[in-house]
Amino acid sequence: MVHLSSLLLKKYHGGHVVIRMALGGATNRPFYRIVAAYNKRSRDGKCIEQLGSYDPLPNIYNEKLVGFNYDRIKYWMGCGAHPTKPVAKLLGLAGFFPLHPMTVTEAERRRKAALTESKAESEDQEEQGAE
Amino acid sequence: MAALRVARGLFRSCRGVQSVDYDARAVFLGARRPVCTSSSDDSADGVRKAQFADAEVQEILTRITGLDLERVFKPIKRELKPPKYKLMTDAQLEEAVLRAREQAGKLLKMPLVVPERQPIDDVLAEDTILEGMDTAKHVFTDITFSTPHRERFIVVREPSGMLRKATWEERDRLIQVYFPKEGRKLTAPPIFNEENLKVMFRQDRHEEVLNHCLVQFEPDSADFKKVHTLAFEHLEQEAKYEVLRSTRFFGPLVWYLVTRRRVDGLLTDMLQRDRLQDALSLVRLFNLVHPQSDCALQAVQQQATGLDLLKIFADCESQKSGFIKLALQTYEHSGTDIVLTAPQSKPGISAQHLQTTHGELGIPDYRSF
Repeated sequence: MVHLSSLLLKKYHGGHVVIRMALGGATNRPFYRIVAAYNKRSRDGKCIEQLGSYDPLPNIYNEKLVGFNYDRIKYWMGCGAHPTKPVAKLLGLAGFFPLHPMTVTEAERRRKAALTESKAESEDQEEQGAE
Repeated sequence: MAALRVARGLFRSCRGVQSVDYDARAVFLGARRPVCTSSSDDSADGVRKAQFADAEVQEILTRITGLDLERVFKPIKRELKPPKYKLMTDAQLEEAVLRAREQAGKLLKMPLVVPERQPIDDVLAEDTILEGMDTAKHVFTDITFSTPHRERFIVVREPSGMLRKATWEERDRLIQVYFPKEGRKLTAPPIFNEENLKVMFRQDRHEEVLNHCLVQFEPDSADFKKVHTLAFEHLEQEAKYEVLRSTRFFGPLVWYLVTRRRVDGLLTDMLQRDRLQDALSLVRLFNLVHPQSDCALQAVQQQATGLDLLKIFADCESQKSGFIKLALQTYEHSGTDIVLTAPQSKPGISAQHLQTTHGELGIPDYRSF
């Protein structure tokens, strides 16, 4: 059993606070809570504080709802918390952080994939037309 | 017997609000909004026009609204409970009536009349490198508990990579998602469609509709204004001012008519019901709001008070001048002693009430009811 104290990280040997997503929801229906927790804790286990939420499935208005408690995020970042990659990406999209480089890379990859798909489709159509 | 009935009404109201499936309780709770200052609006001539939130205007409007205890404490639909009876001395009964008057004054606090809000179209960033990243937009809401709703950051990242501020409708919807208010739905209920509104108006249920509207919409939204306009137009056409008298919407109704200079119907209605004081207050309000009109200028010249004010108004502005003059003549000839006292200062709305706690916009935090 790791000995934990909420305020003095010295006793929690080698651990640090992270801002990450804890998965909840139901089967085929994920829902993430954005949470400040010790990194050794289980993903969905006891957290220090909930800082927001993220719903990855779009609603009827085609929106993915994300809530951030910027005040507390600033506090935990000031305490030395590390955000994980998906949280950093979301914060970059929100404009709170600078844009994450992987977001840009992913966008480029998707565009390339979409281009090759459309090219393949048009080639198939040409072949069918020639036949 | 009458005293017993009034006392029963008092205690029913002073008790805690009961739970009920439909919005009656939420409407009751949520339907209280504080009054606040609106932006000053000088006319082109440099003369300061009277605004809705001015102390004098509010005084006149509260006086015209009247304080019919029976009407204000009409039983709201709640769970059935047997009534409680209390045995009181005369002095205690008077005290209870006083307390009831104060409570009624609070219940009769008028909802805000503010100019319609301008649409938001502020773009924070145009990152076209992000295009094609996702098919859905991301909406980021700041859920810090202590920020007022008007100052909350709600931004939208479109699939094209554009980062923009959310529109007013999106803002209202998302604030309702994260900070739900009782009685308010995410999408406007079908009662606010035109046809359903007409049905409600035909049944004289304006007060219900307007209370529901208060809970559902923000006071400066287009829907709020539309519902109020429709309700007031219907009342003006049918001349059914009694429907809203002694409710909290009478003030806004009077303001609506006065700003559009259509005071005749209301004035004739008041004279028919022998409310001379109210009629005088109405004309005084008209002069305050339109200080450049003939009526106001003449009144200032002649320093008119009482029936003379009404005569000047009948000459200058109204189209039903014949009727008003007739009514005034009957008052004069009947020789009744009309005591035209100066308006007493009411403890209702003072400058303190107009101060707010948050926001440079001066609009209060709607979470605090």
